Amino acid sequence: MTAGRSSEANGSSSANGFDFGAVAKGPVSSSSASRTPSESASGVPRNPSVSALRGQFGDAVLRSQVNAGDQDVVYVEPERILDVLRWLRETPEEHYDHLADVTAVDYGGGHPLEVVYQLWSIPHRRALRLKCELPLPSLEIDSATAIWTGADWLEREVYDMFGVRFRGHPNLRRILMPDNYAEGHPLRKDFPLRGRFSRAEQTRRALSQEPEDYYAPGELANRTPQTADDTEGGAA
Amino acid sequence: MGLDRPGVLGAGTPAFLTTKLDFVVNWARRNSLWPMPFGTACCAIEMMASAASNYDLARFGMERMSFSPRQADVLICAGRVPYKLAPVLRRIWDQMMQPKWCISMGACASSGGVFDVYSMVQGIDTIVPVDVYIPGCPPRPEALIYGLMMVQEKIRGESLTRHAELRAEEPSAAGRPRADEQEVVDLTGPFGNSTQQNRLSGSVETSAVGRPADRLP
Repeated sequence: MTAGRSSEANGSSSANGFDFGAVAKGPVSSSSASRTPSESASGVPRNPSVSALRGQFGDAVLRSQVNAGDQDVVYVEPERILDVLRWLRETPEEHYDHLADVTAVDYGGGHPLEVVYQLWSIPHRRALRLKCELPLPSLEIDSATAIWTGADWLEREVYDMFGVRFRGHPNLRRILMPDNYAEGHPLRKDFPLRGRFSRAEQTRRALSQEPEDYYAPGELANRTPQTADDTEGGAA
Repeated sequence: MGLDRPGVLGAGTPAFLTTKLDFVVNWARRNSLWPMPFGTACCAIEMMASAASNYDLARFGMERMSFSPRQADVLICAGRVPYKLAPVLRRIWDQMMQPKWCISMGACASSGGVFDVYSMVQGIDTIVPVDVYIPGCPPRPEALIYGLMMVQEKIRGESLTRHAELRAEEPSAAGRPRADEQEVVDLTGPFGNSTQQNRLSGSVETSAVGRPADRLP
């Protein structure tokens, strides 16, 4: 069944110029050696940071490719990601001072999960995308919060949705799903669409939580409950 | 003579009238329904349009949106409600004074709509008791006004002698789902497009583009 579908997909790919088989196969690596180093296939100048990264980090840069015509994607060794990010931010020629997004992709089918860093250099007006492939059994990577404080919530979201643990994150807890959520990480490919629990159990758990639970303990520590005396004092 | 004894319906008419207490109380209640807006999505835009001058809910006694549940009479849940928001919705309902009514506006609030997913409440009637369901995605302002007028019709049939029965609230039910487990299961079963899916669908491998033949050449 699967084979028949894929051959059908390949057959129609020539008709409308879209390779459905490639979509089903997931990410494909394209070696930058097959193209001239300074130019992508579409003629758009390559981001000079790619070759600079290769020169600086050598083997830590696994491969690179160009997506959507002009988006340079660099695959980096997960152990070195913090060095690479810090170098990209602090070197004057690179100066990627804006971390636009941290997210992740699960391609399913046993493919490694990819953590994606989308960088933007405001002075140089350059975008660079870094990816780290994490094998499914050990989803751990260093936190970028020491470099960009704004990575805090982005990494919490990746942890919540994919279960990637960020080493050194100051407050790694769920951000979108409730704190007492026990069904796993919803954007993983092995997660059933309706969740793992029955609707009755989900409803029961939802109402067993207190809305105040979403505050950080520090925010609640300074909160004093309002009493009738306070109200009267304010009115007088 | 007409000045010192003004009649109910003008000079010369009787200065008093007799009626039923139920009629007067229901008349007052149904013509001063203040909505508590619980707007979470696009339905809330239509709810705002209903309150604005073109449709003007105030004509029917919904004089203003009451942004405090303490002064509200009818809860309008407009939009999808995720499980994370369910305790908030229940708490607002619990904070509203009796007599109170609830409108479930739109497909998502009434049934979960297209969001038959892990994070979404499949109908707020599992959380709070609902008086009127308004279909639509989103319903037009006329539909919301019609729903509010159905609430008015419902109030018209109420009676103070049945107050204890109509407005009964178990104190221990506060903060808990309205429906019991079996009712939740019955209410949240697959329907419509989602009959193609089941609880095991996550473990079935599907190709990224399932039906390339559907694409136009």
